[in-house]
Amino acid sequence: MILLSRVAERLYWMARYLERAEDTARLVQAYSHLVMDIPADAGPGYEILVQILNAEPSYHDKYRVYNEHNVLKFLIADQDNTGSVTHAIQAARENVRTTRDVLPGEVWEHVNELHLYAQEWAEKSVGRRNRQAFLDEVIARCQMLNGLMITTLCRDHSYRFIKIGKLLERADMTTRVIDVGAGALLGDERLHSSVDPLIWACLLQSLSAMGTYRRTIGPVVEANQMVDFVLREGSLPRSVRFCLNGIRQELAPLSNSAEAIKDLDRARRSLSRFNPEKSTRDELHAFIDKFQAYVMTLSSTIIDTWFSSHRTTIDPEITQ
Amino acid sequence: MHKSWKSYNAGDTFDELLAPSTRPRVSARRLVNLLQGLSPEELHSRRAAAELAIRDMGIFFTIYTEGENIDRAWPFDIIPRVIPAQQWDKVSRGLVQRSRALNCFIDDVYNKQKILAEGIVPAELVLDSENYKPQCAGMSPRYGAWAHICGTDLVRDKDGKFYVLEDNLRVPSGVSYLLENREVTKRVLPELFENYSIRPVDDYPSRLYSTLASLSPRDNQRPCIVVLTPGIYNSAYFEHSFLARGMGAQLVEGPDLYVEDDDCVYMLTVDGPQRVDVVYRRIDDEFLDPEVFREDSILGVPGIMRAWRNGNVAIANAPGAGVADDKAIYAYVPAMIRYYLNEQPSLANVKTYLCMHEPDREYVLANLDKLVVKPANESGGYGLMVGPHATKAKRAEFAKLIENNPRNYVAQPTLTLSTAPTCINDDVEPRHLDLRAFILHGKETWVTPGGLTRVAMTKGSLVVNSSQGGGSKDTWIVESST
Repeated sequence: MILLSRVAERLYWMARYLERAEDTARLVQAYSHLVMDIPADAGPGYEILVQILNAEPSYHDKYRVYNEHNVLKFLIADQDNTGSVTHAIQAARENVRTTRDVLPGEVWEHVNELHLYAQEWAEKSVGRRNRQAFLDEVIARCQMLNGLMITTLCRDHSYRFIKIGKLLERADMTTRVIDVGAGALLGDERLHSSVDPLIWACLLQSLSAMGTYRRTIGPVVEANQMVDFVLREGSLPRSVRFCLNGIRQELAPLSNSAEAIKDLDRARRSLSRFNPEKSTRDELHAFIDKFQAYVMTLSSTIIDTWFSSHRTTIDPEITQ
Repeated sequence: MHKSWKSYNAGDTFDELLAPSTRPRVSARRLVNLLQGLSPEELHSRRAAAELAIRDMGIFFTIYTEGENIDRAWPFDIIPRVIPAQQWDKVSRGLVQRSRALNCFIDDVYNKQKILAEGIVPAELVLDSENYKPQCAGMSPRYGAWAHICGTDLVRDKDGKFYVLEDNLRVPSGVSYLLENREVTKRVLPELFENYSIRPVDDYPSRLYSTLASLSPRDNQRPCIVVLTPGIYNSAYFEHSFLARGMGAQLVEGPDLYVEDDDCVYMLTVDGPQRVDVVYRRIDDEFLDPEVFREDSILGVPGIMRAWRNGNVAIANAPGAGVADDKAIYAYVPAMIRYYLNEQPSLANVKTYLCMHEPDREYVLANLDKLVVKPANESGGYGLMVGPHATKAKRAEFAKLIENNPRNYVAQPTLTLSTAPTCINDDVEPRHLDLRAFILHGKETWVTPGGLTRVAMTKGSLVVNSSQGGGSKDTWIVESST
């Protein structure tokens, strides 16, 4: 089955954006719950969300202070923020619009409906009143799209690039969550260490991993164990190891995949060697920095190997 | 029975389904009986079912207005148009004859130019036209075929006789809707297919595939065929994607293709470059190759003309084929048939006045209120004037246009286009229509059974283009034994 590089590229970005929309919605959802539990002056504040997404510069272009309204507007409804839920949905839609020939017809229908829903509700859902329902709806619809693709797509190259895009984005998001969690909490001399377990639990919640954690490790969330679990528990679909294994599985049948697999294995090895239980906060942070660099290398190898044989560049607004 | 059938009055036009006394024509009897037996509620629910089917099947067309692209549901009227097979076979033979002559003409114009030398078609009319591409001179594509896909518009006058209105030889569109219309009718009026023997239309994509495959420069293997689209924002994108899917071909955009140093065309795939044999292009000549035509084109493929000239890729329709797609050249098609085929034309042309000729021009300027004036080189129904319906100011404007640029205008008598019963707000009223048939010309020549019937939805209007609010109907070629 022939797959055009352009189509592969758009499918890959479609999947990344869809995953980004869902992950951002999960993160905001989980954090919104947490905020209600911790004393007003004890939490890390809303800036942690902006930090997780590495979006401080574009945040400061528009907003001066970190407060609930600003940060949530930025993350949910800001069309100019490439990490916002609405922007990610719109970008996913644009990529489906130009690849609908290779996707089941319902994918376009549902992604279009999701876009229309976000356009109508995002702005009104920045406040606490509607926020939860909005985010739940976005997450549910993203999951429906994922399910639709998993149950209908032929396991050919199209599917592979969708899966690679999705898992790469997810691995990236999971490491961000840990990094910032660690930055805010790990090993710090803190006054309100009683709230730390709540924060870790919240982060687990954002990864839909709380239940599994309780069953596998126990109900008390402890920092190092949690980090180890989220990074290396191969059976957990949002763990970094799971994502890397899944990517490897899809890279193998592609032509010219040697370099991408080499990049991927480098990331996998560094994950295996790293021992969160014995690491300090600084070591964890250094590991994640290095790890994210590997993921970025892999991402650009994928682009160079399969997409950027493109002679002319297509609108970066649409693809990236 | 719905009251509007009794008051149905097509006036002095030829009605496709009902004879003057509103008795159904023989071939339409079962259809009309069934429709007349439907209560207004039933008719309404069938229409609603058709609308739903069109939405579910995702049949849309894109219009560009106020800087925005809007996808509109395809406008469809549930009452089919019926043409007896015997009548159609005659038309179909005429279309084959026409297509053969037109291809001979294009091949001649780019090679020996005999027809020009003998003065049968004025040389300046051809060579000064912007549709004549000197870059194509000396080429002789396989089978002498240039216009592989031709969309010919037919109309019927008062007497029911078919006339050819124009031949679209560049990138004619509409065939996907012809197929989808049949699909919708099968869902909405399934009982009729029991009583009628209706010629099927849905093998078009495989016919198109065979025609394109016959052009491949490499004979020894399954050819790689691609459909080249300008992209998602083109109004016919739906059709491009429809045909690519129907043929199992790749739908590509310009940047997906490139020409290598070996002068072959390749497409970029995740498995590396793949050689392309046949390009069914749905972009105009002007945008095809920035090395040869418009330099600023980003839709085309640099070097593709080089590959074509070297015989390494087939392009359908061939570059330059548009030279015969011109309303002034049209007037000479009957002469071409006599000249190249030594046959009498079996399909009539509409009488055409060429404003470049002085006597014709004088006649046109004196009779603007009776004529339809058309620019020679436009499509989509743009820039034309229907004299009897035009204001005085409009006629004066066209008189000026003609005097300033006589070569660019032709005029034809206003035909009374045939009508067919059409659902208008749950009533049934006569509306004017035309018919676009598609002719495939490669190793063999093949004509679609029937074509795309387009309907002017506004009462009395003669403009059927979907970009201007036209609708469409399923078209049945029915065997007379039924």
